[in-house]
Amino acid sequence: MSSLEIKNLHVAIGEKEIVKGFTLTINSGEVHAVMGPNGTGKSTLSKAIAGHPDYTITSGDVLIDGQSILEQEPDERARAGIFLAFQYPSEIPGVSIANFLRGALQARMAEGEELDASAYYKRLYQKMDLLKIDRKFTSRSVNDGFSGGEKKRCEILQMAMLEPKFALMDETDSGLDIDALRIVADGVNAMRGPTLGVLLITHYQRLLDYIVPDHVHVMYDGRIVKSGDKSLALELEAKGYDWVKKEFAEANAR
Amino acid sequence: MKTSNDSETVIAPAEEAAANPTINPVSGIDQSSGNFRYDMEYAFDAGTGLSENTVRYISGVKKEAPWILEFRLKALKTFLSKPMPTHWATKDLENINFDKIRYYLSQGQKPKRTWDEVPDDIKKTFERLGIPEQERKFLAGVEAQFDSEAAYSNIKDLVSKQGVIFVNSTEGLREHPEIFKKFFGKVIPTGDNKFSALNSAVFSGGSFIYVPPGVKVAQPLQAYFRINAENFGQFERTLIIADEGAEVTYMEGCTAPKFSTSTLHSAVVELVALKGAKIQYITVQNWSANVFNLVTKRGIAHEMAHIKWIDCNIGSRLTMKYPGVVLKGRKARGEVISIALANDGQHQDTGAKMIHAADETTSNIVAKSISVGQGRSTYRGLVHIPKHLKGCKNNTECDALLINTNSRTDTYPAITVRGDRNSVQHEASVSKVNEEMIFYMQQRGLTEGQAMSLAVNGFINDLARQFPMEYSVELKRLIDLEMEGSVG
Amino acid sequence: MSAPTLTSATDSFVGSFTAEAFARHLAALSSSPAWWLERRRAAYETFASLPLPRRTDESWRFSNVAALTLEGFQVEPAVPAGLFLASPFGPAHLAFVNNQLVAPPSLPREAIERGVVVTTLAEAALTHPDLLRGHFMAQPQKLGSAKYAALHSAFVSDGAFIYIPRGVELATPILVTHAAAGPDAAVFPHTLVIAEENAKATVVDFFVSADASTHFACGANDLYAGHGAQLTYIAAQNWSGTSRSFQFNSTVVRRDARVQSLNLHLGGRQARHESLSQLQAPGAFSEMLALTVADGTQEFDQRTLQIHQAPNTKSDLLYKNALRDQARTIFSGLIVVDPDAQKTDAYQSNRNLMLSEEAEASSLPGLEIQANDVRCTHGATSSRIDPEQEFYLLSRGIGKTAADEMLTFGFFEEVLNRLASDPLHDVLRGLIQTQFKK
Repeated sequence: MSSLEIKNLHVAIGEKEIVKGFTLTINSGEVHAVMGPNGTGKSTLSKAIAGHPDYTITSGDVLIDGQSILEQEPDERARAGIFLAFQYPSEIPGVSIANFLRGALQARMAEGEELDASAYYKRLYQKMDLLKIDRKFTSRSVNDGFSGGEKKRCEILQMAMLEPKFALMDETDSGLDIDALRIVADGVNAMRGPTLGVLLITHYQRLLDYIVPDHVHVMYDGRIVKSGDKSLALELEAKGYDWVKKEFAEANAR
Repeated sequence: MKTSNDSETVIAPAEEAAANPTINPVSGIDQSSGNFRYDMEYAFDAGTGLSENTVRYISGVKKEAPWILEFRLKALKTFLSKPMPTHWATKDLENINFDKIRYYLSQGQKPKRTWDEVPDDIKKTFERLGIPEQERKFLAGVEAQFDSEAAYSNIKDLVSKQGVIFVNSTEGLREHPEIFKKFFGKVIPTGDNKFSALNSAVFSGGSFIYVPPGVKVAQPLQAYFRINAENFGQFERTLIIADEGAEVTYMEGCTAPKFSTSTLHSAVVELVALKGAKIQYITVQNWSANVFNLVTKRGIAHEMAHIKWIDCNIGSRLTMKYPGVVLKGRKARGEVISIALANDGQHQDTGAKMIHAADETTSNIVAKSISVGQGRSTYRGLVHIPKHLKGCKNNTECDALLINTNSRTDTYPAITVRGDRNSVQHEASVSKVNEEMIFYMQQRGLTEGQAMSLAVNGFINDLARQFPMEYSVELKRLIDLEMEGSVG
Repeated sequence: MSAPTLTSATDSFVGSFTAEAFARHLAALSSSPAWWLERRRAAYETFASLPLPRRTDESWRFSNVAALTLEGFQVEPAVPAGLFLASPFGPAHLAFVNNQLVAPPSLPREAIERGVVVTTLAEAALTHPDLLRGHFMAQPQKLGSAKYAALHSAFVSDGAFIYIPRGVELATPILVTHAAAGPDAAVFPHTLVIAEENAKATVVDFFVSADASTHFACGANDLYAGHGAQLTYIAAQNWSGTSRSFQFNSTVVRRDARVQSLNLHLGGRQARHESLSQLQAPGAFSEMLALTVADGTQEFDQRTLQIHQAPNTKSDLLYKNALRDQARTIFSGLIVVDPDAQKTDAYQSNRNLMLSEEAEASSLPGLEIQANDVRCTHGATSSRIDPEQEFYLLSRGIGKTAADEMLTFGFFEEVLNRLASDPLHDVLRGLIQTQFKK
């Protein structure tokens, strides 16, 4: 049982503050959805937690099991259990998926320990079959020339292979047709369980039909303004974000 | 030339322009409207050919300080000692006969402040080119150069009260040496190339502009360059200094009648943008097709300063011009937007130079060329990021459009980068007009020529939009004219 | 001009390759046919009369021409006895040390039976004189090194002659090794490949210094792909770190033929490579690939020319350089489309990966287009490892050093992936990795 605590987090890009006091605790086994209008800081939040150098955490803290990770390099955070499924995954020409994942798994092993190649491939193929990814993709360069759907499936494949404690899924549903969305959701659902905590970042309720969250939070102007269960997502779908914006403005006016 | 001042020679096919002299709303853009001349008698004439005496004559009539004469004489030596750059440039340069050129022709050295004072024959020329009308409409100041000297120079009171200086080079060096001497010849040294040396020896005319700290000149300053005489060489020299935080836009236009013999235009333009200043320099070059147009243009951008060259070349027989920016201060920005149209008998050899000399400097080059008929366009670029700089970026895009099977296009960039903290990106492509698109438009009832103009205008549309409105409309119109005659 | 001045000027033009040295060289080649001896004499005249490259020569722009020298080399270096040279590509079919064949040519029986010829130039002069005469150094030198190409033509004594007859497809590559051994040895490697109509073959040249002494290599390779032929040519250059090298490639591609060439540059203090591809008939395709690992104070100077002489031809160039330490690279490429070569599809790309603060990369990608119905693009980039890609790898838990290494090899893999042969890919990857880890 692990916990990811985000405490009163403030994040800036250059001089501009984007995330303004975000607080949330995610425990293993829980799926939290963060919804909100565009430009409200959702993607910034996930990149900052993963340690992207363009994002400055100006105050607050992020802790895994009580240990702050803010002093850690991005790769150390990843090895501590954070997995970011990117909204726009980088294309890495010349680096094959097989070598890439092998390198990532090797990095998680103790010095002198060697990855068992045949067991590795067996597991890789099994996960690929599950996600309906052609086995030939192992020799293709990471995300290079992939369609939007292929990139997202490749993200889920990596998540399945690296078995993180916490997955931050940034707009995983964007650019997916309904079939691809179903495959991705099936993949995530298959990984759901007592050892994984998930933060689903999404603009639309659609994804939540397939990955049903335990908690739903509405993010606006850089922080959570409303929390609830999955019915909140349906309410948002029905009423739109203007309702939240209005409520927020009224709250501020008081 | 013994005819009276009223006689007029119109060189075909300008009948339409002659019948409708005010058709052109902006000076210097329509080739046919510039193709006329009034015969002149000149009070000052340095004669034909170039020698020390020519230089002494020019300096003498201008009553220059001794240091300027020294500067000129030294430049003449440099010019004579330098070979023609034909090891990389076109052999057409060898057709320039320096002994047959007239280096200085004028009716006097002091420009008039009102159009009423300008001699009738010169005034007629500029009226026909629409300059006084433009000045009233949207310019902060105008200088109109006729052969070697400015005939008219004026700046709106509002602008001069802000401390802006806008004079010709003779006046600038004489009246404000404390401002101009410091930068004169410093951005472009005499020996930069053979033609900058020539200009330094015989320069006359051109604008000297100083914009005091923090002053933002809202309307553009305009210079208009007119060559009237045959076998003439025009060598104007322009120096623009934008002091800290100042902003200025300068536009230049140029025309000449078409003679059977060649004419030389060889200018030097130096820009200095001090900390946080912004200079935008717009050229619409529409010389007649007998003009060798060999111009050196360069700016120095200090910390946070921004220099932008918008360089549009439509006329001339041969243009060789590569506006440059030396990015001297941290976070300085340099930009060159270049459009070239090469029609039959024309060679537009244009491009850009970006010299990065400080951290976090950025430069951007976008060049588009169109080759029509037997026309040839060439892009030459230089991007240099020397050692130990960091955070420098250059982005270059060059696109060439070829209209006919016998047109030609060349691209010759040179990029040097040192170190792992900078990045450069260069991309170029060559394509032809999409035949399907032309057919589609023809099917809708457009002529092939009209369809071609639309396609060409579409090709440069994103760049043309960066021009001031009045210029961009005329640019489109000019392309229409060029394209109409070139297909079918 | 006084006589002594003239002599000293001539000396600096020819360096160690004096008229006397040339005369000795010719004397040793008495069995060579008359036409070849005559060509050598003419080439020597050309070599001696041409000036050394100057800084102001456009075709030598950015090169450190001051460091070029012809002085101090052994024109006829002795062949050390008992030298064993292992090639990472496997046992060579032809192996030369200091311009001499060191073991009899070996070739699979299958190839011999089908008429494939793998022999020396000297032997071919007797057995295939017309082919040799028609293809040996027969193409124009357009890339600036006319002097050095003439030096090669004058002093070349032997080399590889490879002939694939009509319709013959070879499954395994033909391997050639050219080595230089001993202090100041000058070598003139040559490989001539003729692939006749619909023939298919892969040829590998491996250039190597047998020891760490300074060598002078001035080599050439002539590739000819006849109607419908498919030729893959790989050259891996690993001269010693103090050597100077010149290599001139000429590729002639006929109707519907396809040539893929890949040059790997690792060694030398100053190495210039010139590559000319002529697309001579419709359907011709030349794919020009190169990889360079530049470190220390090495200078790699690459000049290329893609000439489209016929309609519907295609060329695709990708040159990648990784620069470390104070290394310098120069890439100067030109695509020329002749007026009749409509429907040309030409591409040219130079990518420089900057891995140190002191490295310097120059790019001169050029186009000269005289046909209007063409698709021609070129691009050049110089930058460090992409920070977004690096972050992506870090976010998967891979450490920074491992991530940068992975991305650097990925940079090369993109080119190596274009090779159809996995074993060759593996050998080249191995050579690159060794260079990086040395």
